[in-house]
Amino acid sequence: MNQRQRLSLYHTHIKLLGFDLNSLNQNSSSSSSDAVSFSRNGYAVSCTEIVGVVVSHDLKPNRFLKFSVDDGTACVGCILWLNHLTSPYFASRHQPDVRIMGNMATHFASQIRVGIVVRVRGKFSSYRGVVQITVSDVVVEDDPNAEILHWLDSMRLALKCYDLSPAPT
Amino acid sequence: MKPSSEFFKDGASLRVTGKLVEYSVETAIAIIVDGNVNLKIDTQHLRELSIRIGSIYQFIGELLVQSDNEATLQARVGRNVDGIDLNLYHQSLQLLRQFQADHLNKRTN
Repeated sequence: MNQRQRLSLYHTHIKLLGFDLNSLNQNSSSSSSDAVSFSRNGYAVSCTEIVGVVVSHDLKPNRFLKFSVDDGTACVGCILWLNHLTSPYFASRHQPDVRIMGNMATHFASQIRVGIVVRVRGKFSSYRGVVQITVSDVVVEDDPNAEILHWLDSMRLALKCYDLSPAPT
Repeated sequence: MKPSSEFFKDGASLRVTGKLVEYSVETAIAIIVDGNVNLKIDTQHLRELSIRIGSIYQFIGELLVQSDNEATLQARVGRNVDGIDLNLYHQSLQLLRQFQADHLNKRTN
């Protein structure tokens, strides 16, 4: 895999294990309040996919749902925003799109409860210095082997793709 | 779970998997078995969990070790995992532990 292909991982939902995700490097920029960037093994990353058991659930209606996913290696904090119709962040966006996003988020939130296994995709973000996932979509996994297959996928991808060569200097 | 296990520590957060062989409605204590090892599970906080003898369950919780070395997992999460491939699970778990140890070693070196 060449440098260009490695860099293309930036927009990929990389499959990570919890312990690996929690140890990503965070780089803060003073130029913007939300300009925390993330890197793994020297390469910039932005999106991820994890699979695990929901072990905590904290819902603030019309604001957010915070939940934790335990994949057997660590717990990962996740935040699913539910404030699409009230947040100024979305005010300048195309409102029909915002409504669809809001409805999807509400649907995801209604499915999440402690004890189920979920596949979560989203972007890395940082809260009080700890890496978390700002959730973009959630799939409830009914297959009892889903978590095991995600372990194997994550290890295979780390060994054959994400870890292949030393970071560029 | 045996006292010789590295995970046999009071307060340890554990995830355990096994076949449910006994359950008491009065005490909400279940017993799961994996191979020749069994473990008591306190399911009092899992009111929504449907218990079925003979099914495979996975629990997450904290281990309570009493003075007589009797251990009970105080479960906070539980789910039925009937259909899980236990051979694949055990083999994958070994790989996962090795992978995690290798990564931690790489980071500290």
